[in-house]
Amino acid sequence: MSLFVSGLRKLRRRPATWVTLGLLAGLLALVVVAVGATSNRAGATGPERTAILSLVTFPAAYDEMLTFILGLGGLFAVIYGAAIAGSEWQWGTLKNAVARGQSRSRYVLLTFASVAVVIAVGLVVTFIVGVIAALVGATIAGVSTAGLSDAPTLGRLPEQFVRGWVAIVEEGALGFAIATLAGSQLAGIGAGIALYFGETFAGIFLPDIVKYLPFSVATASVNTGNSPGGGFGGRAVAALDANTALLLVVVWLVGALVVAALYTERAEISG
Amino acid sequence: MTDAHGLALATRGLRKSYGSHVALDGLDLSVPTGTVYGFLGPNGAGKTTTMRLLTGLIHPDAGSIDLLGRPFGRRDRHRLYDVGALIEAPSFYPFLSGRQNLRELAANGAPVPHGRVEELLELTGLKDRAGDKVSTYSLGMKQRLGIAAALLSDPQLLLLDEPANGLDPAGIVAMRETLRHLASLGKTVFVSSHLLAEMQQMADVIGIIAAGRLVREGPMEQLLNAEGVVRIRVRSDDIAAATAALAPLAGPEAVTSSAAEPGWLSVRVAPDRAGEVNRALGTAGIWATGLETGNDLELLFLQLTGGEPVASGEGTFFGMAGSRPGSGAAA
Repeated sequence: MSLFVSGLRKLRRRPATWVTLGLLAGLLALVVVAVGATSNRAGATGPERTAILSLVTFPAAYDEMLTFILGLGGLFAVIYGAAIAGSEWQWGTLKNAVARGQSRSRYVLLTFASVAVVIAVGLVVTFIVGVIAALVGATIAGVSTAGLSDAPTLGRLPEQFVRGWVAIVEEGALGFAIATLAGSQLAGIGAGIALYFGETFAGIFLPDIVKYLPFSVATASVNTGNSPGGGFGGRAVAALDANTALLLVVVWLVGALVVAALYTERAEISG
Repeated sequence: MTDAHGLALATRGLRKSYGSHVALDGLDLSVPTGTVYGFLGPNGAGKTTTMRLLTGLIHPDAGSIDLLGRPFGRRDRHRLYDVGALIEAPSFYPFLSGRQNLRELAANGAPVPHGRVEELLELTGLKDRAGDKVSTYSLGMKQRLGIAAALLSDPQLLLLDEPANGLDPAGIVAMRETLRHLASLGKTVFVSSHLLAEMQQMADVIGIIAAGRLVREGPMEQLLNAEGVVRIRVRSDDIAAATAALAPLAGPEAVTSSAAEPGWLSVRVAPDRAGEVNRALGTAGIWATGLETGNDLELLFLQLTGGEPVASGEGTFFGMAGSRPGSGAAA
């Protein structure tokens, strides 16, 4: 337990945590407020204007924000997970722990557990920032905020949050595992980003295979029919149904962590 | 904790290869409990590989390790609870302060008593900067923090790889006193270092490795006496006669001269036999114009690791580091 709490303390003090959260929440707030501020000047009318204003019109804004967070957040999670795992090797801090008799796999898994908690907090904080920004945007655009307390939408939110959290955690775990294998922050981040976008492009040519791959199943797992689902830039892959996708997300998550733990357990640590 | 032979650390036939490169080739170390053990060797001799093996960071291809009287293998990580280590460069989270780094490190391995972190910050002279981020520390400060980290769990066995790196002279003296104090408390300190003069002052026992094998091990004093040398200066014309006069005393192969230092003869005998050397020369009617007793670690190290001491100025490490035995002088 002390190792897990220590992991959380380290992440709380780590600039990468605040930079990642700040970027995600800042971008969301910027986009939402900008939509509210410019909607009346954009010249759009009718359905087009309604579509633009969906970001600041409740209850649709809830889904729009989740889409944004789960999409861009997935990419950020890959980078963040890779940064955390890679730095343990690169800075030699894993070496310190092992030389003190710490179990390698326990260290890896509890470090990732603290990452998963930080992701959950980040998801909630970003969503709250998004809601506040949407209220500001709605006020600027002169859109009613009556849908803010729409009961059916609010009732769906917890499930969507949990699904979204598991999906982002899986994406973070992939970055974590890649950086563990690479033994480097930069290599892990680079490989993670390449895999993220590579999967998107591969979906154009091999949709039947790519739909089972980690980022595609993460996107599909949050698409319960009521929300548009995540995916930065939108994924053009014929998606699996949400529950099957969620199952596969868990499989990829567990797989990534097993690979990271086993590799660390057997690795020769020389940094 | 110790084994039946009073050893805190023992390796037998330790072997480790990286591809085709053999880093350790059957290393046998015997580190007595309660001593400061100086682990010496030239670059690439296998010191850091040994340190990594002793802390479970890497695993041997063959051979065995006994830590504190018990076998240490892949599944024996708990044995490291009684071991403190500083391996290679000190490693910390740059965004945390020195104090925070020690606290987070304490979450691993053996429990650390309350107040221990502050005690160690005081001991290593980092108290004033303990709240600053490690990224702002100098190399010497990081080294001090690394030593503090190694001492966190009040270990029975301390493994330190080049602990004096980056320390200023006062820091080196403080470190020496601390390590000697720990040994006086019955703890065992295993130190690898390139600072031979420092090791000569600090270590009770030394082990010298070269090319992955132990070439000499034993109590410092005993080794230095056994490997001592008396250097004597005579007129160039007397070299041959002096060599002949000293041969019965030390053996014909123990008397050598060097073209790099005309007039100087080296006699490989214990330094306390310098008087006998002088008397033998006097008996032969040869008068010494200079006499030095040399039993320093540097000379022993160079002899054993194949780094011949040469005249300075020739542009090699050994030329710069070990041109002559330096201690003791009488003429």
